[in-house]
Amino acid sequence: MTIKRIAHKGTITAGALLCMSAFATSASAADCSIKVGAVLPTSVDWGRPIAEVAQYAVDLANEAGGVSGCDVDLILRDSQVDPKVGVDGAKALVDLDGVQLLLGAVSSGVSMPILTSVAVPSGVMMMSCCSSSTGFTALAQEGKSKGLFFRTFATSGVQAAVGAMVARDKGYNSVAILYKNDDWGQDISKLIAADLESLGITVTTSVALNDAQPSYRAEVTQALKGKPEALYLALYPTEGSAAVREWISLGGTQNMILANSLKSDEFRDNVGLQYLGNATGTDTASPRSESASAFVDLYKAKFGSEPNGPGLSNSFDATLIALLAMHAAGKDASGSEIAAQVANVTDPNGTAVSADAAGFAKATEILSGGGTVMYQGATGNVRFDSFGDVSAPAVTWTFTEAGTKEASYITLEEVDEFMASVN
Amino acid sequence: MMGLISYLVFFITIASILAIAVLGLNLQWGNTGLFNGGVVAFFGAGAYGTLLLGGDPQSDHIGGFDLFYPLALLGGAVAAGVLAWVVGRLTLHLRHDYFAIATFGVAVTFENVMRNAEGLSGGAKGLRGFTRPLEAFVNNGFTYNVLFLLVVTSLLVCTYLFLERLIRSPYGRLLRAIREDEIAACSLGKKPDRIRLTAFITGSCIVGLAGGLYATFYAFVSPQDVLPTLTFQLWAMLIVGGAGNNRGAIFGTFLIWGAWSASGWGLSRFAPVEVQLYTGTMQFILIGLVIVGMLLWRPQGLFPERLVVSQSGCKSK
Repeated sequence: MTIKRIAHKGTITAGALLCMSAFATSASAADCSIKVGAVLPTSVDWGRPIAEVAQYAVDLANEAGGVSGCDVDLILRDSQVDPKVGVDGAKALVDLDGVQLLLGAVSSGVSMPILTSVAVPSGVMMMSCCSSSTGFTALAQEGKSKGLFFRTFATSGVQAAVGAMVARDKGYNSVAILYKNDDWGQDISKLIAADLESLGITVTTSVALNDAQPSYRAEVTQALKGKPEALYLALYPTEGSAAVREWISLGGTQNMILANSLKSDEFRDNVGLQYLGNATGTDTASPRSESASAFVDLYKAKFGSEPNGPGLSNSFDATLIALLAMHAAGKDASGSEIAAQVANVTDPNGTAVSADAAGFAKATEILSGGGTVMYQGATGNVRFDSFGDVSAPAVTWTFTEAGTKEASYITLEEVDEFMASVN
Repeated sequence: MMGLISYLVFFITIASILAIAVLGLNLQWGNTGLFNGGVVAFFGAGAYGTLLLGGDPQSDHIGGFDLFYPLALLGGAVAAGVLAWVVGRLTLHLRHDYFAIATFGVAVTFENVMRNAEGLSGGAKGLRGFTRPLEAFVNNGFTYNVLFLLVVTSLLVCTYLFLERLIRSPYGRLLRAIREDEIAACSLGKKPDRIRLTAFITGSCIVGLAGGLYATFYAFVSPQDVLPTLTFQLWAMLIVGGAGNNRGAIFGTFLIWGAWSASGWGLSRFAPVEVQLYTGTMQFILIGLVIVGMLLWRPQGLFPERLVVSQSGCKSK
């Protein structure tokens, strides 16, 4: 009886010990958590992958030991591409969850009111993957964003500059522009028009296309009038296909320069490869570094497909840079303290770190020791200027049977030099 | 705790601003029977009007007159009223569904004009660079929001009292008479066209006031703020609250906007991580179910209109 009882007690103690040790290990992995807010359009088809990548980046960071030894808890709010809903989500994240770091949003029309009415008044840092409006640069120049806003999406300036370089190198003397009628399209059409003019190339017309029109004949006819030698297209695939088909059927030139939004199989198939022989595309590029291809490999391993949607690599970098800055700023840092650390994470003279779990672990170690790192991410050696904008290297590409192939690679230095020369 | 209060202040501010807009819509639909399918155009006219008049000077488009704020806000409401006058003169002879389609078209046109008229509205990237009134004097973001809330709620109360008086006046009875039986009203020597126009303009001014407050609070407005979604949201609030009842309109606004915010918050908080990505979709389904349920089981809304056969002019009850 007694022996039995003792034995019984023994198992209980052993069990308790086991339990305790189990607790101890789980506790050492995550004895605290840090909340990070994200406002992304998860209810929109192209928005969900952006959020998935952000969550994946957070998982990688947690795998590498988290931020300041704490697990990162990403709280995701859906913006529904509605400014009211996005701002409400951001405000709830800041007030109710006490986040000091907001990731998002995607649309500039949502990011802007979040920045002006939530992030800046509350002193919370904001890192957007995908907002392209030049309005953010202007706001930063006026000092109204208080250095709290960053974006990993290269401004439309890079894309426009490379488009102008293509026109120069191909020797086109006149170019017509068709652009999508939203903030991105309006920005890029103005930028490339200015770049072309300063290269001495005539812009015959610049025509805006609204989404989802049954026909673009009127717009295309207008663009044809000046008899341009080449056509610049800043459109999305659906509208782009419709417009280019009308353009070619009306006898327009097949010399085309395409923005990265048209780098799609849908566009190629709808227009027909035989008409795209003289079409040259532009895109901001990943640098020729291991970390960029590492992202592609990571993405393929995780999601089983190429990272081909818009904003995926940008979302990945935005999340990891923001988390590293948060780590560098230390526990319980305020938004502006985190924002101040971004420069130490993207320091061109810092130690190069890759964008994966091992790189994250290495970076946190260096940052904890007071060092600086150069984050080499999916979009390159990201470096923000004083307004929170990034520049990027670029490529030109052409369509092939299988998809697209790179025609030339333009380094970050060449892009910067060209942009400085035309401005 | 502080965070919760801060969030509630924010929530009540936005809900009150939307409630003012729904009150304006209630005057048009609930009391006069005008199916305004383009509320958002008048909301947008108020928003753009206020920011153009009260904003900082801008280099790339007109506006930025930096007017004294109450004047700018008033100007926004007047802009909405002027738009309503033009639209009303052209379309008010249309009936019900035709009028709804025409006003819906006006709203889409408005959005497109704002998207394209860069010299006027800043184009697709919107109007920014608005310094919120008195913000320089109030350093603390929370205090500022509380002050703003006080202004907004007092305007909401004023609007409510104004409309309550209006619909209890002979003019209010006239509106209902036109809504119920226009020919009967004509036979009594009333001019329905004229009355409808004044009711349409008054309601639109109120919606424009809400738009002005909205843009002030966000210090920003872009074409994304004036998409048809907002029209449907405002309509849902009125239908759920109860068309024809001002208290219902306010209550419906708080309820629907509350459900919208709370479901987003609740799902992000309690749904498992794998489901998180689908919370947006689930939220749409939830809100849709609430509206469909209301229409099926309580089509008159939570606070139905109280029909009074006649009212005594004397104070005593």
